[in-house]
Amino acid sequence: MDYVIQQVLNALSFGAEYALIALGLAIVFSIMGLVNFAHGEVIAFGGYSMIVVATLLTGNPWVLMIMVLAACVLIATVLERVAFRTVRGADLTTGLLTAFGVSIILQNLFLLLGSPRPMAATQFIFLDKTLTIGAIRVSSLQIYETVATVVAIIILLTFLRRTTLGIAMRAAALDFEMVRLCGIRANRVIAGAFAMSGLLAGLACIFIMARRGSVSPHMGFDPVLTAFVACVIGGFGSLPGAVLGGFLLGICEVAVQVLLPQSYGGLAQAVVFALVALILIWRPDGILSPAQEKGDKI
Amino acid sequence: MTLRLNINQRKGLVGSTLLSLLILAIVGAYYLWGESYQARILYATFVNLLVVVGLQVFMGNAKITSFSHSAFMGIAAYVAAICVTPAAMKAISLPDAPWGLNAFELSPLVSVLLALSITGILGLLTGLFMARLTGVGVTIVSIAILVIVHSIFLHRTDIFKGNQAFFGIPKIFDLPHITILAIAAIFIARLFRESAFGLQLRACADDEIGARAMGVDVYRTRLIAWVIGTLFFATAGIAYAFFLGTISARPFYFNFVFLTVAMLILGGLRSVSGAVIGTLLITIGLEVVRWLETGPDLGIIKMPQMLGLSGLLLGVVIVAVMTFLPNGIMGNREIEEIFKKDPG
Repeated sequence: MDYVIQQVLNALSFGAEYALIALGLAIVFSIMGLVNFAHGEVIAFGGYSMIVVATLLTGNPWVLMIMVLAACVLIATVLERVAFRTVRGADLTTGLLTAFGVSIILQNLFLLLGSPRPMAATQFIFLDKTLTIGAIRVSSLQIYETVATVVAIIILLTFLRRTTLGIAMRAAALDFEMVRLCGIRANRVIAGAFAMSGLLAGLACIFIMARRGSVSPHMGFDPVLTAFVACVIGGFGSLPGAVLGGFLLGICEVAVQVLLPQSYGGLAQAVVFALVALILIWRPDGILSPAQEKGDKI
Repeated sequence: MTLRLNINQRKGLVGSTLLSLLILAIVGAYYLWGESYQARILYATFVNLLVVVGLQVFMGNAKITSFSHSAFMGIAAYVAAICVTPAAMKAISLPDAPWGLNAFELSPLVSVLLALSITGILGLLTGLFMARLTGVGVTIVSIAILVIVHSIFLHRTDIFKGNQAFFGIPKIFDLPHITILAIAAIFIARLFRESAFGLQLRACADDEIGARAMGVDVYRTRLIAWVIGTLFFATAGIAYAFFLGTISARPFYFNFVFLTVAMLILGGLRSVSGAVIGTLLITIGLEVVRWLETGPDLGIIKMPQMLGLSGLLLGVVIVAVMTFLPNGIMGNREIEEIFKKDPG
């Protein structure tokens, strides 16, 4: 029983992390149709700025957390202004490849200015303690992660439903031109979407840093690849889909690790990706994809 | 395809000949003035050229981003390598391979045919699914293929040696072979682009509903292009293994994918000439940057060592091309139309 509860918590915390990152991808995609491959580098940027702040200013973890969030929001909006504004309205491939180029640039900047090897940044490690509740031993980080994700999703939902900018963003996901005709500034909506995706990336960054305790130029790549897949399973551009996909993938990953014999441990990622490919073949547009007629695009 | 070439294909022959002359001029220059270490660079360039031209066949004509090419290249390289390496050598390099994989050896020709057919069959099987998907779906499934194949390479160390080198492959190919292959690839890709299938595929990319309404079988054209593309990657993989003599799983992963995709989009997705020109430009650029990276002595100033500069440049090229020249250098044009205004 303990084992089961532990694995469920594992699945939830993995899922929470993927859902956080996937939400960041989905917000941007739903509004401007951009597959933001550079999202992982936003997370890595958060990690590096944490090191810079910690060495120059203060090692206080609470201040650092705020700094990480701010840095991620900043870099996400800067990327929007510098790189993605020019490809707005271009087709999917152009956007995808641009994001891809941005991601390579940032990775290599980290490599040039930082170090190819991981750099230690252990200020958030204290979040990860082993708690004993009755007979169950759980990691406090997993609980924080799950709770923080749920809270973030609730705040995001309230924002999207109650505020003007939020409603404009939801409307923009459906029909961007119409939103502009209603007098809402396109730049503001899109910058808002990027800022929000940056905030979510910052949150994910805090948890990733608490787990790894170090930054490296490629640290964002794997989580974002997985989150990207989560988005697609859920239905690209659908926010509930991203959350669902994230948690599904977390469950999948833990289930594969539990069920596969130890000697096949190296194949866990392969099995997860194979499942994803099967889901896509079954439902090419994802599980919760918004209904879309191809004719609309003409 | 019928034997009679249509008018565009005949124009294509002219263009392909021009590109081949360019390739031959480069090889000729090497034989006249080059130094021996440059043969390796040239060989690698032509292997990349095979891959990029193969990418143009599916990704360029159908305008769908796919990232699985280095997986197919890896499969072909490993199959060919395992078949052709002498049994005595494999006893050392693959001591505990299952199914008697280290107890036989085949002639180079049979190995090549076997590698091509295995990769081709895998291409067909994956293509059956790929051709049904659209947009981001294709990209994701192609990433899934890449990740799955890579994990298998890493997991089955008894067959593939994982990140360690699989060594002892006899050196069968040399510069003349790859030059011929590169030229053949250019001709085949160009003839495909101008064939009825190529035209239909490009029509689907521009307007899928319209193409369907005109009676184009989108599924079939995409499948054919996908399989042909796979065979190009397989050839590149075999050529890679037959020259280097050692292979490992590492080069057949994301870095190589990024590099080749950057080459294709710099030149222009939609034309074979673009693929060739993009490959040559990026290779030259990277060689210069690699030289800068090592921190050369420029007489007056000593440049510092800068790791990551080549990657940085690659990223800048991709973003700059996408921002300022979304259709690449060549756009819709082929080399014989270079002085014409780009129609699209």
